[in-house]
Amino acid sequence: MSDPSARRLFHWFQRTRVGRSIFRVGLPQSNLERAQAMVSSFLLHVQPAKVGRHALRPSTTLGLGLISLYLFFILIGTGVLLMFYYVPSTAHAYNGMKDLQFVVSAGLIVRNMHRWAAHLMVLFVMLHLCRVFYTAAYKPPREFNWVIGIGLFIVTLALSFTGYLLPWDQLAFWAITVGSNIAGYAPVIGSKLQFLLLGGHTVGQEALTRFYALHVILLPSLALLMISVHLFRVRKDGGLAQPDEPANTVQQMEASQLPTNKSYGLMELARGTTPQVGLNPEDEVFSWPNLVFRELLLFLATVAVVLFLAIFWNAPLEELANPIHPPNPAKAPWYFLGLQELVSYSAFWGGVVVPGVLVAALVLLPYLDRQRRGVGRWFAPERKLATTLFTIGLIVAVVLTTIGSVFRGPNWSWQVPWKQSSTLTEGP
Amino acid sequence: MNLPPHNHEVSRRSFFQLTLGWLAGSFAVGATAAAAVRFLVPNVLYEPGQRFKAGRPEDYADGSVTFLEDERVFLVRKGNTFRCLSAVCTHLGCTVNRTSQGYHCPCHGSVFSNEGQVLGGPAPRGLEWFAVTMSRDNRLVVDKNLSVSADKLLVV
Repeated sequence: MSDPSARRLFHWFQRTRVGRSIFRVGLPQSNLERAQAMVSSFLLHVQPAKVGRHALRPSTTLGLGLISLYLFFILIGTGVLLMFYYVPSTAHAYNGMKDLQFVVSAGLIVRNMHRWAAHLMVLFVMLHLCRVFYTAAYKPPREFNWVIGIGLFIVTLALSFTGYLLPWDQLAFWAITVGSNIAGYAPVIGSKLQFLLLGGHTVGQEALTRFYALHVILLPSLALLMISVHLFRVRKDGGLAQPDEPANTVQQMEASQLPTNKSYGLMELARGTTPQVGLNPEDEVFSWPNLVFRELLLFLATVAVVLFLAIFWNAPLEELANPIHPPNPAKAPWYFLGLQELVSYSAFWGGVVVPGVLVAALVLLPYLDRQRRGVGRWFAPERKLATTLFTIGLIVAVVLTTIGSVFRGPNWSWQVPWKQSSTLTEGP
Repeated sequence: MNLPPHNHEVSRRSFFQLTLGWLAGSFAVGATAAAAVRFLVPNVLYEPGQRFKAGRPEDYADGSVTFLEDERVFLVRKGNTFRCLSAVCTHLGCTVNRTSQGYHCPCHGSVFSNEGQVLGGPAPRGLEWFAVTMSRDNRLVVDKNLSVSADKLLVV
């Protein structure tokens, strides 16, 4: 609101009877109003009135979690629009995609944005996970929020995977055939699980209906709920991890341990009076405008990048799904290509054991890692072993994904990407 | 509710209250969950039948291996004998392609012999052979529900 005329317009509106009923606080002029602006707004109150300078430094988080959240917002917006044209039926789904591409105004852009935001969200959730690991931000008191984060990572993958089937093209059909067959390798319940997921023995109308219901209502609701808890816990666990912070949250402290310069008295946690002016830590600044405007800027940048990708690169749409002939090679989405490479050696080990152990290890990590030092610093030297192990795992995952993505040609045989000599070989 | 007089002693009344409460609560939650899961298991499937007619024996040349697209099987004729081989890879369900040496799966590179045995790749077992019979109107009938061994032939 640096534009004086816009500022004046808002001031005028805020002073009217209607304006006062909506915005309790006008554009903040004093520190009191800056605090009130945060506390009195539904959208802003999840964030603190004052925020540490360390949290504002880009190097603390690189904004990876926020970018993931913004991509999720973009996905909800574009996804709801797509629902107005998409019909989850094997007879109409593919035609709906063609309509979006060639008939609906801005349909191509909306679909492209949805596709690129989905891929980017998977990528940024992974990067966010790596950031939290490398800055040791999963250590007490944030162990459980890390577990919720792993849950969100899995929900993100499930959202992306269920959305993958909906265009009902060759890419979709065979990626889901391969993916659901992997579920069939799970011990004991495998084939039952596969049957439940597909609603039958093969990928057909029942599977499409099920994936649609999962993709547009069940998984997004779950994600929204978990994101809310995730953000809430960031606040409750003491904000962003930083060096030399107390290891306990406010709730875990005795009343006598509580610092006197915060308003715990209001929460009836500690005896005493309201916050003592002038005793706040030196390194904190008001969230309005320091935090709020940085977040807005990051949101605009995220939208701009997604829009840029959507304008210049179209989302792929292959020919109509053909249950008789798989494309050669048939590939899963890129984030599963590391697993598909493993699955090409052994379906049980690559499809069940390795992902199962990985998820279990990630969930248990904050409870197994007893070392308390290094919190809030990138690649802390005290954590050389943890950092090295994680990095090795990361490199293995990246190498496998790269092999599966570009070094595998027709018949899943080795292919060098810069020599595109091999053509598609269709059997009889 | 009356609180028990001490931490370690539970009165008869509160013991029954607690037991009954927990039993009723777990039954309500368990039954709801079980009903929801059962609801998701379809009772009727609108999938094509697993038993189908594959035409007359004369339709297939001697020594031929014919791919029946809609059924995803290979019909193998040798002399007067007929057999039927599944074209669904046992690894992850892709359709295998016929090659000069046998069969090849394009998804993850499994290789099968002419007899359906695994020669390479990640497939855990060989391709399935299905039972072939003759109907009264002289048509070949394949039953994809009935797996047989590779040496079981229909002699016409």
